[in-house]
Order: sequence, then C-alpha cells, then structure tokens
Amino acid sequence: MKLLRKTSWLLLPVCAPLCFIGCATPQATRVDSAGGRSLTTVRGINMQDWNDAADTMINSLRENFINAGKLQAPEGKPALLAISRIVNNTGTQIDTDLLVKKIQIALSRTDKVVTSTTIGVGGVADVIAEEEKRRARLLGVEPSRPNYTLSGKIIEQTARAGNVREASYVFQLSLTKIPEGVAAWEEERTITKQGTRGSVGVW
Amino acid sequence: MRILPFFIIGVALVALAALPGCTTVNTVERAQPIAQRQMVDDKRIVTDSSLNRRVQIVGVNQSNGAGGLLKVQVEVLNTTRSLQHFNYKFEWFDESGTVIGTPTSAFLPRQLEGKESMFLTATAPTAIAKDFRLKLLQDLR
Repeated sequence: MKLLRKTSWLLLPVCAPLCFIGCATPQATRVDSAGGRSLTTVRGINMQDWNDAADTMINSLRENFINAGKLQAPEGKPALLAISRIVNNTGTQIDTDLLVKKIQIALSRTDKVVTSTTIGVGGVADVIAEEEKRRARLLGVEPSRPNYTLSGKIIEQTARAGNVREASYVFQLSLTKIPEGVAAWEEERTITKQGTRGSVGVW
Repeated sequence: MRILPFFIIGVALVALAALPGCTTVNTVERAQPIAQRQMVDDKRIVTDSSLNRRVQIVGVNQSNGAGGLLKVQVEVLNTTRSLQHFNYKFEWFDESGTVIGTPTSAFLPRQLEGKESMFLTATAPTAIAKDFRLKLLQDLR
C-alpha cells in the first residue's frame, strides 16, 4: 500500500499534461493533400482517390504511349491534345478537372504534348484566347487542329452486406487519334473502399 | 494448476482470432526466368524499422523506353503472414540533383496480403529526370 502511494505521486507529473491535452478545444489542422493523412470515406471520391487514379493514368500514358514511341506529332512540334467529354456516372456531383487537370499538367511537362484551351465541350477554358483565335481566322490564319482528344467516364458501383458497405469507383480514359478516330491509348483504374456505418466519414 | 485450463482456452481463443488475419499468398513462376532485370544498387535509409520489418524492398531495377523516359520498378514484399497497408511515393531528380515537381507527387496507399510481393512502378515525368527516390510510409489511418 505504501509503495502504491509513493508511485502514484511519481505518476502525477506524467499524467497531468495528458489531462491538459484532453481538455484542449478541437482545432482545425491543415493536412498535406499529397500526404497520407487526408480523410477517406466509403462514399465519394476523396483526394487520395483522385491522386491514385491520376497517378495510374499518367504513369500508363508515359509508359505505354509516350515511352513506347506511339505518340505521333507534327514535325518538330508537340502533339496538340483537346479535352473531350468526361462522363460522370456516379451518384454525386464531381469536378472531373480534379483528374483531367493533373493529366494535362503531367503531359505538358513531358514537352511532347500541349493542351488546347480554346477547344472544349460545354465551353472553352480560355474565352479571350478563343476570341483571339476567331479574329486570327478572319485574318486568314488557320488555327491548329488537335492531334488527339481525351475522353472518359467515371462509374460508381455500390454494394452492401450486413453492416459492411462498399463503393467502387471506376476511372476509364481513352486517347483518340484525330482524324482517324481510333483509340491510341486506353486505361482503367478501379478504386474500391469498404467500411461500416460507424467508420470515419459519411456514407 | 487451476489456471492451466483457462490459459489453454485463452491461447486457443487468441489463435482463433488471429486466423482470419493470416491469409498468405502462394506463387509460381518460371524456375529460370528469361527476362533479365537491370538491377540498381540502392541505398536505404530506415527510420521506421517496424515498417521495414513488415514491408521489405526486395530489389530495384530500371529500363529506358523509346520515348527516353526512365522507368523504375521496385519489388516490395510483405514479410508477415497478415495483411499490411502502406503508402509510397516516388520523387524524381534531374542531372543536377534538383527535384522535379509533378502533379501526382503524393503518397499512394497500397496493401499486401501475407507473404505477397508487389512491383511498384513509375515512369519519369520528363526525359531530364535521371534519378529517383522511393519513400515508404506506414498506414496513417
């Protein structure tokens, strides 16, 4: 009993700071979006999923298309890529630029591909550049036509067994050669997440 | 002596509980592989010895494609008999050792079944990338 009393006094300075930590008000903390600490939910595409899908697509493009010598570009110029429709077949509204923009950046860094900002589905990325292009056409300057278009689809598949819920997100992309209209490169990446109702995040 | 039966039951329960987590992978491959890998001498800096014990790097090899981009392949092995989660990230450097930023310079989650090996592959973001570094991080969730 005496020993217990002695040791409990010794434990006090160790335990006291722990109590303070427990009393601290919860604070918002900034986490690295490229790190492994961002939140993961079963339902919905999280930052890690976008990074994962983009990494697979970019690696495949570099390895199976560019590095394999399949990229065909005009003499001495990089190939021109136009972004076509990326269909969202998931139950939630998503901005497909979270995937496409990463691919555009990665391709432009290879110095072998440039992306058009004046050709696009449902509106161009740069309105001023589009206006200038129209003006140049009136002056007889023929604008460059794209050599490739990028299109794709994001599909959601859900399942449930008892308390366990599962969501799969399938990312499909195709690079089409213009004017032939044939797929020059295709890739698919499926990300599956499982969790219970009580797990982190919102179902 | 009275404790012994309880001890045996306890050990049996722990063993039963551990069973679902111990699923290992069996593999088969050509005894004399035709493909010859161009292995790379690597330098390893281990700060998380626990992760290093569970997920080990078996070897690193590289190749160059027609497009002039360096391709790296790292074989990792789960040395344990249970499922292991980890994150990895490749970094690329140019000739002067300056890091080359990419839009996907992020830790990517992967999982390995017991005794399973996996190849982590990456192709250099640009032709000026001459060196690489692979970072392995334990699952943070």
